[in-house]
Amino acid sequence: MLRLWKLAFGLLAVLFLLVPMFAILPLAFNDSSILTYPMTGVSMRWFSELVEENIWRRAILNSLIIGLSTAVFASVLGTLAALGLRGSTGRLARFGNLIFLMPMVAPIVVLGVGMQLMFTRLGLNNTYLGVIIAHTVISVPFVVISVSAALAGIDPALERASANLGASPRATFVHVTLPLARPGILAGAIFALATSLDEVVLTLFLGGAGQRTLAREMFAQLRENLTPVIAAVSFVFIVGTVCLGAVNVFLRNSRRFRAEGPAE
Amino acid sequence: MSATTSPAGTAPAHPTRPHPIIRCDRLSKSYGTVRVMENLSLDIAPGEFISLLGPSGSGKTTLLMMIAGFEEPTEGAIWLDGRRIDAVAPFRRNMGMVFQNYALFPHMTVAQNIGFPLKMRGTPRREIAGRVARALEMIELGALADRYPPQLSGGQQQRVALARALVFEPRVVLMDEPLGALDKRLREQMQLDIRDLHRRLGLTVIFVTHDQSEALTMSDRIAVFNKGRIEQIGTPDDIYDRPRTRFVAEFIGETNLLTGRISGGQLRLPDETRLALADGNGAGEGDEVVVSVRPERMRVIAPGTMPEPGANRLEGALRDVVYLGDHLRLQIDAAGQALVVKQPRAGLAPQPGARVALTFDAADTRVITS
Amino acid sequence: MSARTRRRLLARGALLSPLVLFLFFFFFVPLFNVMRSAIYDPVIARAFPVLSRSVEGWDRAGPPTPDMQEALIADLRGTTPEVLGDAVRRLNGMSSGFRSLMSKTTRALEAAPDPATRVDLLAVDARWGDPLRWQAIVDNLSPYTDRFLLAAFDLERDSTGAIAAMPPERAANFAYFTRTFVISALVTGLCILIGLPYAMLAASVRGRQRQLLLAAVLIPMWTSILVRASSWFILMQDQGLINGALIGSGLSEAAVPLLFTRTGVVLSMTHMLLPFMVLPVFNVLVAIPGNLMPAAAALGANPLRAFWHVLLPLAARGIVSGSLLVFMTSIGFYILPAILGGPAEQLISSLIAMYSTKAANWPMASALGLILFGITSMLYVVFGRIGTTPARRN
Repeated sequence: MLRLWKLAFGLLAVLFLLVPMFAILPLAFNDSSILTYPMTGVSMRWFSELVEENIWRRAILNSLIIGLSTAVFASVLGTLAALGLRGSTGRLARFGNLIFLMPMVAPIVVLGVGMQLMFTRLGLNNTYLGVIIAHTVISVPFVVISVSAALAGIDPALERASANLGASPRATFVHVTLPLARPGILAGAIFALATSLDEVVLTLFLGGAGQRTLAREMFAQLRENLTPVIAAVSFVFIVGTVCLGAVNVFLRNSRRFRAEGPAE
Repeated sequence: MSATTSPAGTAPAHPTRPHPIIRCDRLSKSYGTVRVMENLSLDIAPGEFISLLGPSGSGKTTLLMMIAGFEEPTEGAIWLDGRRIDAVAPFRRNMGMVFQNYALFPHMTVAQNIGFPLKMRGTPRREIAGRVARALEMIELGALADRYPPQLSGGQQQRVALARALVFEPRVVLMDEPLGALDKRLREQMQLDIRDLHRRLGLTVIFVTHDQSEALTMSDRIAVFNKGRIEQIGTPDDIYDRPRTRFVAEFIGETNLLTGRISGGQLRLPDETRLALADGNGAGEGDEVVVSVRPERMRVIAPGTMPEPGANRLEGALRDVVYLGDHLRLQIDAAGQALVVKQPRAGLAPQPGARVALTFDAADTRVITS
Repeated sequence: MSARTRRRLLARGALLSPLVLFLFFFFFVPLFNVMRSAIYDPVIARAFPVLSRSVEGWDRAGPPTPDMQEALIADLRGTTPEVLGDAVRRLNGMSSGFRSLMSKTTRALEAAPDPATRVDLLAVDARWGDPLRWQAIVDNLSPYTDRFLLAAFDLERDSTGAIAAMPPERAANFAYFTRTFVISALVTGLCILIGLPYAMLAASVRGRQRQLLLAAVLIPMWTSILVRASSWFILMQDQGLINGALIGSGLSEAAVPLLFTRTGVVLSMTHMLLPFMVLPVFNVLVAIPGNLMPAAAALGANPLRAFWHVLLPLAARGIVSGSLLVFMTSIGFYILPAILGGPAEQLISSLIAMYSTKAANWPMASALGLILFGITSMLYVVFGRIGTTPARRN
């Protein structure tokens, strides 16, 4: 009896969690121009509209420009900071956690207001740089967390071994520390890219018509005219997420870092 | 920094045996107020295999790390071949080191690991390939050159670590409990292999271990560490047969410690039993001393029998007998002391509780004064 | 300090400073701007610098002193039209009629360009004899003001300077706070209700089943919030999947309105935040030795009592940090209510966005933002004390 309840609850909960992810996907292939079920026929027209229609092409381009720049900025800044925090204890570690992780919890709209007040004065409103800076602020914590975890996982004996074998601190960093931290850095960059691609609020506050990203465009279309292109974008997003997730898993399980048992 | 009479830059001119390759001169180390090493001096001769033996926290690893350059001495100096090195960065010291868990680079193949020290020294790529191949041959792992370390067994990793530490022909090889992670059979094999390499290549090896039998098997000399100081340094024979302190006697192998006073050149136990000694080892009349006698030097004899002339005799009760395959381990209460005797099984079938006599030669006693 | 430690400290500093500086300029300065803008409003002070030096000695109730009149005239003559325009707009917002009064007065002053000519303000317009007019200016002469913070709670200062409730027709802000808290509490409660048994279930099974349950929590976390919002939109339409299922199964005759209702918003927010409850609780539960529940059973506790007296106290830490995380995140929600909610489901964030992007009322937006940020920070501090790693933002 208890088992039955458990099974029923588990099934319902998993459905509750997963169905809202995927309910929209079939509509990407629907040929009706109304974004609703039931499906009337299969068509790829919304995908072609996504790549041919000017606003969507523009939005995709903007998302890529802003997302990739954010990923680069955030990984550089976050990696440097994680290296600086490495092995720290006590006050410095607490300071680092407080400062570097705070952007994750500040209410995003409040941040948007503050940045808008400031960017107006700096002339950064409605510029790519402004949006990229804003996205970097909220994605850099993921890089710090991810790289810190990777660095903490490096056995300090490896760096000692490197020094012992004649590698200068620089060579040790290049040949040992950096390659071992690379999966963490890449994971952080992926997190940053994903955060930027999905960001709406700051883009709304700080970006102008020239910086409308895919997420921003989707938000607008959801509120104004429900075009089925939304479903096509969702499909692309889900596929992208799956790909990025797969890359991440691949990095973590990368063959050479994993023991495959004795070779004898 | 210290009171050496010679000018900085040259080794102090002590009249030592072969010129030492490594000289540790009055080293001390403190972490805040905690002193982990106290005024420690040690000379190591070229080609010597020396073990630093002691319980954990005794300072043996700290000394090794100072020689490697990963710890700075608070006071004192370290010399390598007449050059002072205690302020030299680790990567300029040119010493090979085998780490406790091997510290092989997981992102490099076996060949890349072994080639790493050569690459760091700017060796031409061609030459690296040749020397790596020869090193792989030496450790008989040529077939695994392109594997990554996590894909190797513990013993294979150990050999790669060894090859990596030797391939650049360092002056000195440091080993930090390199065999600790291996199982018993493999460990014994590797002990012999390392000793063999040491002899064949004429290496100077500093070997840290907490396993006394490993130290006894492999070393030319053993330095026994306790509480940040060297308790005794000497050949394995020296250390085993002539322990200078109670700590050494107890740490190296098993021993019986008899406490009493020197009286007329003999040991007088609290129950007035008198025992003949090999020599007083500097102890004077009336001094309270501890006498060490190894369990395998004692023999249980039938209660009635007399010992050989000149041998000591004690009577007591057999408390327990443990069979250990080829020999017996007997626990005996005699003369108010709990003693252990190890002897072959031949012909003995004593029962716990029985009265027994035990005997040992005066020559097998060792008086410990401190 | 040895040379080596000094070098190491320097290297640390060099590595840390780029991000510290970056966040200082682009995270802390903006937040500081919000704080300042919430309490600092120099529009009026900038327009009337002379007046602000000559208001002492006025009893607030009587007619303005001659000094004050002189000062006002000097200010009207000395201030640039732009600065004055800002101030007049602000004053007009607080008490209507200021715009016409001011333009009438400035015109009169332009007619008498010689500063030496005495102009009688009361003769220009009788309204200058009303102490309330003067109060409106004088009370706002200080650039620092609690007006916006008070207004966030639908409070204001009355003519005596005491704090009083705003008249109901202007009181619109505080309702957003209560609504935000009610919805967030509902979402938190639902998350506990679903998340606790879910985490217990995930902790009680092993292998593939556990992996499946955890993946079902993690996949949504990784998925775009917009995709999830769109999906919910499709599900909750009148002709959407949920209503299709309800009607098809005969549970309901007609479509149940979900879109733009509180039910829909709460449901979708719960879906979004459920992982933040499940993961901390799961982490605590898997750390509990597996034989504790059987041990309790062996000691004679029935399953319910064993749950109540053994499991729940042990899981409490996870539940508390999960709840804090869920609540803290949901009070800052903007996107989901904006897409799936009607006007009655908009939270504080929407109000802030409205003040800043539509009304351009920065001080008001900032005051509300400051309060929201303050609440979030306090929850974060408590959360940090309880100590679990912070998870992804919404």
